[in-house]
Amino acid sequence: MIGLYILGAVLLFGAFKFLRGVYYIRKAKALEAEIGTLNTGTEAVKAERKAEKAAAVVALGFVAEADLDTENPAPVPPERTAVLDAVRSGDWEAGAAYVEAAGKNWQERMERVRPLAEAAAEDDAWLLAWRAARPSDPTAALVDADTAIMVAWNVRGSQSGSRTTQEQFRLFRELLVKAQEVAHEAQRLADPADPTPYIVEQPIGQGLGYSHERYRELWAQVVGRDPKVLWSHISGLQYWCRKWRGSHELALGFARESAAAGAPGDLLSLLPLIAYFEQETDEDDLAAETFFKEPEIVAAVDAALLDLAAAGDDHPGTARLRHMLAYLLFWQDRDEQAVEQFRHIDGYIGCVPWSYAGSPKSRYLYARDWAVGVSTPGL
Amino acid sequence: MGASLRALRALVLLAGFYLLGVFLLAALGGIDYAVVTTLHGPIVAKLLLASVVLTVPIVRGMFMLRTPKGEPPAGVTVGEAQEPELWAAVRDVAQQVGTRAPDEIVLIDEVNAAVAEDAKLLGLRPGTRRLYLGLPLMTGLDEMQLRAVLAHEMGHYANFDTRLTPLIARGRAQLIRTIGYFHERADKKVAKERAKQERKDEKRIAKGKKAKGVDTAGEGAMYRAMAKVYIAYGNFYMRATRSTSRRQELAADLASVRVAGRDSAASALRELNALDSAHDFYMSSYATLGVGAGLLPRPGEVFGGLRRLLDARSADLDELRRELSTEPTSPYDSHPALAERVARIEALPDDGRAGQAARPALELLADAGASLAALEQVVLTPEALALKRVDWEDLVHESMTAYVGQGAEDIRETFAAEGAGPGLGAVLDAFDADPAVRWRIADRFPKSEEAQAATGRTAREFGRPVVRRALNQLVSVELTARGAARWQLSWSDSASLRYPADGFEDRLRQALDAAVADAPDTEPLRKLVLAP
Repeated sequence: MIGLYILGAVLLFGAFKFLRGVYYIRKAKALEAEIGTLNTGTEAVKAERKAEKAAAVVALGFVAEADLDTENPAPVPPERTAVLDAVRSGDWEAGAAYVEAAGKNWQERMERVRPLAEAAAEDDAWLLAWRAARPSDPTAALVDADTAIMVAWNVRGSQSGSRTTQEQFRLFRELLVKAQEVAHEAQRLADPADPTPYIVEQPIGQGLGYSHERYRELWAQVVGRDPKVLWSHISGLQYWCRKWRGSHELALGFARESAAAGAPGDLLSLLPLIAYFEQETDEDDLAAETFFKEPEIVAAVDAALLDLAAAGDDHPGTARLRHMLAYLLFWQDRDEQAVEQFRHIDGYIGCVPWSYAGSPKSRYLYARDWAVGVSTPGL
Repeated sequence: MGASLRALRALVLLAGFYLLGVFLLAALGGIDYAVVTTLHGPIVAKLLLASVVLTVPIVRGMFMLRTPKGEPPAGVTVGEAQEPELWAAVRDVAQQVGTRAPDEIVLIDEVNAAVAEDAKLLGLRPGTRRLYLGLPLMTGLDEMQLRAVLAHEMGHYANFDTRLTPLIARGRAQLIRTIGYFHERADKKVAKERAKQERKDEKRIAKGKKAKGVDTAGEGAMYRAMAKVYIAYGNFYMRATRSTSRRQELAADLASVRVAGRDSAASALRELNALDSAHDFYMSSYATLGVGAGLLPRPGEVFGGLRRLLDARSADLDELRRELSTEPTSPYDSHPALAERVARIEALPDDGRAGQAARPALELLADAGASLAALEQVVLTPEALALKRVDWEDLVHESMTAYVGQGAEDIRETFAAEGAGPGLGAVLDAFDADPAVRWRIADRFPKSEEAQAATGRTAREFGRPVVRRALNQLVSVELTARGAARWQLSWSDSASLRYPADGFEDRLRQALDAAVADAPDTEPLRKLVLAP
């Protein structure tokens, strides 16, 4: 009997402990809820301040967040829009004429091929008709090769390797091999002086993993025809980046060579800027606010500003350079100079450095509104 | 520790299990008493009911006294007159180990050798001793390795290990079963609660509210708590018996080294590791390959074909012989990890018996082929024995043809749903008439998430390999039906289709590419496959 009493007492004690536990858990939950409400309050205040500042910047004539175009680096020329509409409705001859009108301006030729290739990656009935009607048209082959690359990258997606499926990798490779065939065909058909069919092979070499030796041979084909096509240098730099087939050192070396090869106005001074930017993106332990202030990067930015001034606004690559300059000037605390670039590019942010961010708009607005805020008295 | 002392300890530990049950029941009774005397109202009935429910698994655990007797493995019992050499080898090993030879030898179909004894009086008096010997095991070992395995098994008897095993095993089984009951009941309760909450959530969603989500964290806690008491005792039990078990295993390994030599003993263990997976793979991919098509290999080959596989894939198996598991097979297994056992044996000094010549273990049998065939009669079901027996080459060709044909039926239906088919010729006609039909067909096959999200030419590129693969299967069926291609058996690789001529495979690949190209050209495929 005594044993039972003891047992009862033990159990009662257990029940007391249990109920006490329940009480504390309830209390903790109530406190948590209170913290939650407080946090929401603070966030609301912060958001309100941010919105106020954004509104003030917009009042100065800058584009509001909702109206930012994340597809294009600069306003799309009306001519291009008309041509894209025409090809989509089946008039491939409009597309052919548009690309051919660029003549021997190879940079402009690539600037015109890419939007057509992007359109064809969605619907290529017109491109197939073009290829069928003019089987030996080098321009059609060039657009076809660039389209095949677009499709291959669409299949692969932009996720890292571990989040890309076997099906995606296999198809990516197969499609690039096919794109390579088309690029080689374009090389056979094209004017021997035309570097663009070799430029189009650059991303293929990058995706298929050409050896350094093979890629240098391809590069020789490009620069042998024209050493100053900005497009080919930007594309080549990607290959030499650590995330593809090179390293920070190789990428910077390539970019410096490019910059040295260009005369003022060729905009090749953009390449070192991209190399530094790629390095900062790739290295988690580099902080933008210190790294971009290194003297050699400040000097590179100064050189690019001179280059830009010499080019005027005629060069098709101006917008790309201004975007990169705006971002680096912002990090170098040269906010007034940054704002000058922001005024030129504002509204169109479909390119690096913004496109590398998870939210391009946030990165752009953060830099722009900061620079504008610092350089505008009273804001 | 002597045999009787170990028996005493096993008895005490088993008694502890029952004592635990009695104590828990008493505790529940005490709670009930306290509840009845102190509380009033409906809560009393509820608490009483809860305690009664909790007693069920305890009582069941206590009264399930019989350890479940596993069916003895089916096999062919062979007498000394039938298999004199095998018997001589077994007697020789038993004598060297210092134990009584088995009374019976039973040939079975596993990669295993085991000695069992119907011991009486809690294992203190000897009974009939049987050696179960797997023919697949003998297939993979040479004679010395087999002697090593036999010596290990009989070594347990020499140390009087196994007489007590029933007692230890009973205590262990009882504990595991009781813990199982509690977990099972707790899981059931959680499942019930989950179903209830999910129904509630559905209702909330139906009413346009947000689902609360399912939370079953607290459910079945009482059952789990009870299981914990038993698990704690179980861990104590295992700790108390494990060191002895491990010592016994290592002692048995030493016996096998004495009998067969260091290198044979170690290589036998390595071989066992490889043999197990090889046998599983052989049974599923070769021996029973034809079952779905109503076919079995010739008598004696159902188990006998393993030899061919072992010969053809010895390079692959070498890896399994090298890479041994460092994990024990289960937390309740008394065997130390294989890697540890082999390492201990190989660390022994050289006994000068390395490289001793030994014949394949199967040669101990008077007629291995006849024994393998006889085993089939005992082990296979009547349905399996009624299957048609064919040569390996025909088995592979006929069953692969049947399976690929069955798979092609679904493909044909899918094609026909878009108006393409049923024959290969009609499919190609449909491609020519409307090339876009191919992408509509591709849409009907299962797709990955990425393929589903794709649009335009990208979607087409995801679809192209799908159509190509399906078309290839239709072509395979057509070619085998015409007798132009034949499925080829390979002991070292998977079965493959052998085409009529050299270079045919290349031409076929190009023809398939042309048929699924943006501008289709079906002519090459027609010429290659459909031309008479």
